[in-house]
Amino acid sequence: MTTLAALEKGHEFPPASFDLSEEWVDAYVAAVEDEAIGALDGGFVPPMAVAALAIRALLENASLPPGTLHIGQELAFTAPVRRGETLTVAARIASRGKRAGWALIAVELRVAGDDGTVMTGRVTLSFPAAEGTAV
Amino acid sequence: MKQQSTSLAVGAALPTVMRTITQQKIDAYALASGDGNPLHTDPAFAANTQFGGTIAHGMLLLGYVSEMMTAAFGEDWLTGGRLKVRFRATARPGDTLTSAGTVTSVEGGKTVCAIECRNESGEVLVSGQAEVSRS
Repeated sequence: MTTLAALEKGHEFPPASFDLSEEWVDAYVAAVEDEAIGALDGGFVPPMAVAALAIRALLENASLPPGTLHIGQELAFTAPVRRGETLTVAARIASRGKRAGWALIAVELRVAGDDGTVMTGRVTLSFPAAEGTAV
Repeated sequence: MKQQSTSLAVGAALPTVMRTITQQKIDAYALASGDGNPLHTDPAFAANTQFGGTIAHGMLLLGYVSEMMTAAFGEDWLTGGRLKVRFRATARPGDTLTSAGTVTSVEGGKTVCAIECRNESGEVLVSGQAEVSRS
Protein backbone atom coordinates (compact mmCIF):
# COMPACT_ATOMS: atom_id res chain seq x y z
CA MET A 1 0.00 0.00 0.00
CA THR A 2 1.20 3.50 -0.81
CA THR A 3 2.33 5.57 2.12
CA LEU A 4 0.93 9.04 2.61
CA ALA A 5 4.49 10.34 2.66
CA ALA A 6 4.89 9.47 -1.02
CA LEU A 7 1.82 11.28 -2.31
CA GLU A 8 2.06 14.68 -3.94
CA LYS A 9 -0.15 17.73 -3.54
CA GLY A 10 -3.22 17.33 -5.71
CA HIS A 11 -3.31 13.56 -5.41
CA GLU A 12 -6.89 12.31 -5.50
CA PHE A 13 -7.81 9.20 -3.59
CA PRO A 14 -10.12 6.71 -5.28
CA PRO A 15 -13.75 7.29 -4.22
CA ALA A 16 -14.86 4.89 -1.52
CA SER A 17 -18.38 3.91 -0.53
CA PHE A 18 -19.65 2.90 2.89
CA ASP A 19 -22.94 1.48 4.06
CA LEU A 20 -24.09 2.85 7.40
CA SER A 21 -25.46 -0.41 8.68
CA GLU A 22 -27.35 -0.60 11.95
CA GLU A 23 -24.57 -2.78 13.33
CA TRP A 24 -21.80 -0.37 12.42
CA VAL A 25 -23.65 2.68 13.72
CA ASP A 26 -24.44 0.87 16.98
CA ALA A 27 -20.77 -0.05 17.36
CA TYR A 28 -19.69 3.54 16.70
CA VAL A 29 -22.23 5.05 19.11
CA ALA A 30 -21.20 2.56 21.79
CA ALA A 31 -17.52 3.31 21.23
CA VAL A 32 -17.93 7.07 21.65
CA GLU A 33 -20.65 6.67 24.32
CA ASP A 34 -22.83 9.21 22.53
CA GLU A 35 -25.95 9.58 24.65
CA ALA A 36 -27.22 12.66 22.80
CA ILE A 37 -27.75 11.27 19.31
CA GLY A 38 -30.22 8.69 20.57
CA ALA A 39 -32.32 11.43 22.14
CA LEU A 40 -33.15 12.72 18.65
CA ASP A 41 -35.89 10.95 16.76
CA GLY A 42 -35.12 10.03 13.18
CA GLY A 43 -32.43 7.38 13.23
CA PHE A 44 -29.65 9.92 12.87
CA VAL A 45 -26.00 8.97 12.66
CA PRO A 46 -23.58 11.07 14.74
CA PRO A 47 -21.90 13.49 12.34
CA MET A 48 -18.51 12.57 13.71
CA ALA A 49 -19.17 9.00 12.60
CA VAL A 50 -19.31 10.29 9.04
CA ALA A 51 -15.99 12.02 9.58
CA ALA A 52 -14.54 8.81 10.97
CA LEU A 53 -15.65 6.97 7.86
CA ALA A 54 -14.07 9.59 5.64
CA ILE A 55 -10.77 9.20 7.42
CA ARG A 56 -11.11 5.41 7.17
CA ALA A 57 -11.32 5.86 3.41
CA LEU A 58 -7.93 7.53 3.56
CA LEU A 59 -6.43 4.77 5.65
CA GLU A 60 -7.64 2.13 3.21
CA ASN A 61 -5.80 3.81 0.37
CA ALA A 62 -2.60 5.04 1.96
CA SER A 63 -0.76 3.92 5.04
CA LEU A 64 0.32 6.47 7.61
CA PRO A 65 4.06 6.93 8.06
CA PRO A 66 5.35 5.87 11.49
CA GLY A 67 4.88 8.61 14.06
CA THR A 68 2.01 10.31 12.26
CA LEU A 69 0.10 12.77 14.42
CA HIS A 70 -3.39 14.12 13.81
CA ILE A 71 -2.92 17.78 14.59
CA GLY A 72 -5.98 19.53 13.23
CA GLN A 73 -9.48 18.97 11.94
CA GLU A 74 -12.05 21.10 10.19
CA LEU A 75 -15.54 19.80 9.47
CA ALA A 76 -18.78 21.17 8.10
CA PHE A 77 -21.98 19.17 8.31
CA THR A 78 -24.52 20.15 5.69
CA ALA A 79 -27.23 17.51 5.91
CA PRO A 80 -28.28 14.93 8.46
CA VAL A 81 -27.30 11.34 7.81
CA ARG A 82 -29.51 8.42 8.76
CA ARG A 83 -28.91 4.78 9.45
CA GLY A 84 -28.98 2.61 6.36
CA GLU A 85 -27.66 5.27 4.00
CA THR A 86 -24.74 4.67 1.65
CA LEU A 87 -22.10 7.39 1.56
CA THR A 88 -19.31 8.08 -0.90
CA VAL A 89 -16.08 9.69 0.20
CA ALA A 90 -13.81 11.72 -2.06
CA ALA A 91 -10.46 13.01 -0.83
CA ARG A 92 -7.48 14.86 -2.20
CA ILE A 93 -4.21 16.16 -0.84
CA ALA A 94 -4.75 19.89 -0.58
CA SER A 95 -1.36 20.97 0.65
CA ARG A 96 2.01 19.75 1.76
CA GLY A 97 4.72 21.48 3.71
CA LYS A 98 7.67 20.94 5.98
CA ARG A 99 8.56 22.58 9.26
CA ALA A 100 11.30 21.80 11.75
CA GLY A 101 11.87 18.33 10.37
CA TRP A 102 8.19 17.44 10.23
CA ALA A 103 6.08 17.05 7.13
CA LEU A 104 2.65 18.67 7.23
CA ILE A 105 -0.10 17.42 5.01
CA ALA A 106 -3.69 18.57 4.65
CA VAL A 107 -6.31 16.34 3.07
CA GLU A 108 -9.65 17.69 1.92
CA LEU A 109 -12.63 15.41 2.32
CA ARG A 110 -16.09 15.45 0.79
CA VAL A 111 -18.76 12.96 1.75
CA ALA A 112 -21.94 12.61 -0.27
CA GLY A 113 -25.16 10.67 0.11
CA ASP A 114 -27.91 10.03 -2.40
CA ASP A 115 -29.09 13.65 -2.20
CA GLY A 116 -25.73 15.39 -2.33
CA THR A 117 -22.97 16.51 -0.01
CA VAL A 118 -23.46 15.78 3.68
CA MET A 119 -20.04 16.73 5.00
CA THR A 120 -16.86 18.47 3.94
CA GLY A 121 -13.68 18.63 5.91
CA ARG A 122 -9.97 19.02 6.10
CA VAL A 123 -7.66 16.85 8.16
CA THR A 124 -4.14 17.99 8.99
CA LEU A 125 -1.51 15.38 9.71
CA SER A 126 2.15 15.62 10.59
CA PHE A 127 4.91 13.03 10.52
CA PRO A 128 8.71 13.00 10.68
CA ALA A 129 10.05 14.17 7.32
CA ALA A 130 12.44 11.51 6.09
CA GLU A 131 14.85 11.90 3.19
CA GLY A 132 12.93 11.77 -0.07
CA THR A 133 9.61 12.67 1.50
CA ALA A 134 7.49 14.50 -1.03
CA VAL A 135 6.91 18.05 0.15
CA MET B 1 -40.81 17.35 13.61
CA LYS B 2 -37.38 18.88 13.71
CA GLN B 3 -35.73 18.81 17.10
CA GLN B 4 -33.84 21.93 18.00
CA SER B 5 -32.47 23.34 21.19
CA THR B 6 -33.60 26.54 22.78
CA SER B 7 -31.49 29.60 21.95
CA LEU B 8 -28.33 30.08 23.95
CA ALA B 9 -27.14 33.59 24.78
CA VAL B 10 -23.59 34.88 24.59
CA GLY B 11 -21.69 33.63 27.61
CA ALA B 12 -23.87 30.57 28.08
CA ALA B 13 -22.07 27.36 28.90
CA LEU B 14 -22.76 24.26 26.84
CA PRO B 15 -23.63 21.05 28.69
CA THR B 16 -20.35 19.39 29.54
CA VAL B 17 -19.54 15.81 28.60
CA MET B 18 -17.24 13.88 30.93
CA ARG B 19 -15.68 10.56 29.94
CA THR B 20 -12.89 8.40 31.32
CA ILE B 21 -10.56 6.89 28.75
CA THR B 22 -9.73 3.20 29.01
CA GLN B 23 -7.77 0.92 26.71
CA GLN B 24 -10.99 -1.01 26.16
CA LYS B 25 -12.69 2.15 24.89
CA ILE B 26 -9.74 2.95 22.62
CA ASP B 27 -9.85 -0.58 21.24
CA ALA B 28 -13.61 -0.32 20.64
CA TYR B 29 -13.11 2.94 18.76
CA ALA B 30 -10.27 1.43 16.72
CA LEU B 31 -12.53 -1.42 15.71
CA ALA B 32 -15.44 0.82 14.78
CA SER B 33 -13.38 3.44 12.97
CA GLY B 34 -11.00 1.06 11.23
CA ASP B 35 -8.03 2.98 12.62
CA GLY B 36 -5.94 0.25 14.15
CA ASN B 37 -2.73 2.26 14.39
CA PRO B 38 -0.64 0.40 17.01
CA LEU B 39 0.05 3.72 18.69
CA HIS B 40 -3.54 3.43 19.90
CA THR B 41 -3.98 -0.30 20.30
CA ASP B 42 -0.63 -1.96 21.05
CA PRO B 43 0.76 -1.06 24.49
CA ALA B 44 4.09 -2.77 23.78
CA PHE B 45 4.56 -0.85 20.54
CA ALA B 46 3.38 2.43 22.03
CA ALA B 47 5.72 2.07 24.99
CA ASN B 48 8.64 2.56 22.62
CA THR B 49 7.29 5.73 21.05
CA GLN B 50 7.64 9.34 22.15
CA PHE B 51 4.38 8.92 24.08
CA GLY B 52 5.55 6.03 26.23
CA GLY B 53 2.20 4.31 25.98
CA THR B 54 -1.02 4.18 24.02
CA ILE B 55 -3.01 7.31 23.30
CA ALA B 56 -6.64 7.79 22.34
CA HIS B 57 -7.63 8.64 18.79
CA GLY B 58 -8.16 12.35 18.29
CA MET B 59 -11.43 11.52 16.58
CA LEU B 60 -12.63 9.76 19.71
CA LEU B 61 -12.22 13.03 21.58
CA LEU B 62 -14.13 14.80 18.83
CA GLY B 63 -16.88 12.25 19.33
CA TYR B 64 -17.26 13.60 22.86
CA VAL B 65 -17.24 17.18 21.58
CA SER B 66 -19.89 16.30 19.01
CA GLU B 67 -22.07 14.74 21.71
CA MET B 68 -21.88 18.02 23.60
CA MET B 69 -22.89 19.96 20.50
CA THR B 70 -25.76 17.58 19.75
CA ALA B 71 -27.01 17.92 23.33
CA ALA B 72 -26.87 21.71 23.06
CA PHE B 73 -28.16 22.28 19.55
CA GLY B 74 -30.05 19.15 18.54
CA GLU B 75 -30.62 18.56 14.86
CA ASP B 76 -29.17 21.95 13.97
CA TRP B 77 -25.71 20.54 14.75
CA LEU B 78 -26.31 17.77 12.23
CA THR B 79 -27.53 20.07 9.47
CA GLY B 80 -25.47 23.20 9.95
CA GLY B 81 -22.58 22.48 12.25
CA ARG B 82 -18.99 23.50 11.65
CA LEU B 83 -15.95 22.61 13.71
CA LYS B 84 -12.36 23.74 13.56
CA VAL B 85 -9.99 22.36 16.17
CA ARG B 86 -6.37 21.73 16.98
CA PHE B 87 -5.17 18.70 18.87
CA ARG B 88 -2.80 20.10 21.47
CA ALA B 89 -2.01 17.12 23.70
CA THR B 90 -2.83 13.46 23.93
CA ALA B 91 -5.35 11.52 26.02
CA ARG B 92 -4.22 8.32 27.69
CA PRO B 93 -5.94 5.42 29.38
CA GLY B 94 -6.97 6.53 32.86
CA ASP B 95 -7.52 10.15 31.87
CA THR B 96 -10.88 11.69 32.67
CA LEU B 97 -11.79 14.17 29.98
CA THR B 98 -14.24 17.03 30.12
CA SER B 99 -15.57 18.59 26.95
CA ALA B 100 -16.90 22.08 27.48
CA GLY B 101 -17.90 25.12 25.49
CA THR B 102 -19.10 28.67 25.78
CA VAL B 103 -21.20 30.71 23.37
CA THR B 104 -19.10 33.60 22.10
CA SER B 105 -21.47 35.18 19.58
CA VAL B 106 -24.99 34.89 18.27
CA GLU B 107 -25.68 36.71 15.05
CA GLY B 108 -27.81 36.22 11.98
CA GLY B 109 -28.95 32.77 12.99
CA LYS B 110 -25.41 31.60 13.61
CA THR B 111 -24.16 30.66 17.06
CA VAL B 112 -20.40 30.53 17.58
CA CYS B 113 -18.85 28.68 20.51
CA ALA B 114 -15.36 28.31 21.90
CA ILE B 115 -14.89 24.65 22.66
CA GLU B 116 -12.25 22.59 24.40
CA CYS B 117 -11.51 19.22 25.87
CA ARG B 118 -9.34 19.02 29.00
CA ASN B 119 -7.98 16.20 31.10
CA GLU B 120 -8.35 15.95 34.87
CA SER B 121 -5.20 18.04 35.34
CA GLY B 122 -6.72 20.90 33.39
CA GLU B 123 -4.44 20.39 30.40
CA VAL B 124 -6.12 21.40 27.15
CA LEU B 125 -6.08 18.49 24.72
CA VAL B 126 -8.37 19.93 22.06
CA SER B 127 -9.36 23.52 21.47
CA GLY B 128 -11.12 25.41 18.76
CA GLN B 129 -14.36 26.82 17.54
CA ALA B 130 -17.73 25.37 16.68
CA GLU B 131 -20.52 27.09 14.78
CA VAL B 132 -24.14 26.17 14.37
CA SER B 133 -26.46 27.72 11.82
CA ARG B 134 -30.09 27.52 12.80
CA SER B 135 -32.37 26.38 10.03
